[in-house]
Amino acid sequence: MNIVELSTGKVFDIDISSVKKEDYKSLYKSRYYFDWKQEALFEVYKLTVIGSTDILGLISLERFPDEWRIHIRLLTLSRENVGKDKRFERIAGNLLAFAAKIAVREYGVLACVSLRPKTQIAKNYMNKYKMNITGMTLSLEVPEILNLINEYE
Amino acid sequence: MSMNKQEIEELPEYGVDSRYKSQEERKTDSVALMEARLERMKNLPKEQMVRAKLVQLKLKMEEFLNKSFSYSNNYFTEYVAAYIDTLYSKRSEFANDISVTPVYLSQVINNHREPSQEFIFKLMVHSQKAFSKVSTFSEEMWYNVYFKQVVNNALNTEDEWRPEIEKQVKFKELI
Repeated sequence: MNIVELSTGKVFDIDISSVKKEDYKSLYKSRYYFDWKQEALFEVYKLTVIGSTDILGLISLERFPDEWRIHIRLLTLSRENVGKDKRFERIAGNLLAFAAKIAVREYGVLACVSLRPKTQIAKNYMNKYKMNITGMTLSLEVPEILNLINEYE
Repeated sequence: MSMNKQEIEELPEYGVDSRYKSQEERKTDSVALMEARLERMKNLPKEQMVRAKLVQLKLKMEEFLNKSFSYSNNYFTEYVAAYIDTLYSKRSEFANDISVTPVYLSQVINNHREPSQEFIFKLMVHSQKAFSKVSTFSEEMWYNVYFKQVVNNALNTEDEWRPEIEKQVKFKELI
């Protein structure tokens, strides 16, 4: 799994791991857009470049095993990675692929990852990650979920 | 150039807040989504089902390798059995394809016999072919799982072997 620095084209290997209690102190709304402390009761993961402790992206998940589904509650990138002057590319895709891996590992053929974005964001997710739409919900299932995993391996 | 809050929220990379506002909202979404998923599943080709099962197996093996300790003693053979059952309707057909007898394969899968190095080599070559159009699959995967299992078993049964082994090992304090 890796991300690309847009100014240099340099590829950086990344790690996605659980957010620790002490991490919440540095998850300011001004840099990560949401109040992440509210998510502490859920599964929250952080994306970092290997060898660095700086958090570049965050995702919180909720599992619905009776529906073979992982629902993405929140997903965000650090502020400097948003917009046309962003530093790194592929952060959101890696976080999405991470959720997809959990879903496929746990639920196999029936695996599903879902989210409910705002309209303007939904179009982007459908185009970029080939997500299906049902009402307000976007989802990834087999085979698209497997393609995403391969793309961000 | 700095952006205001609204401009940022309109950027697709900014992120997603898709928390359900209520249980009712969640339930309504779940029902609609499940119906749509089941409909899509009806048209799912068999090759994609096999592909999903192979990727699931690979992810489970990676998870086992990343864990510091596991309680089960049979992960290796459970994974071998899952691998074969994903690709073959009869295990004897797999035995034939890797030139071992069905009896030998059965003994390995049922933990009545340790797999030979040759068996693991054959498994390695077979799975590289099977995964070639599915996903990356590390050459060392089966070996790593097998040796981790050996270490795991040794630690799980330490209470049984240590008392006797302690009696046989002498050590003089040198420092």
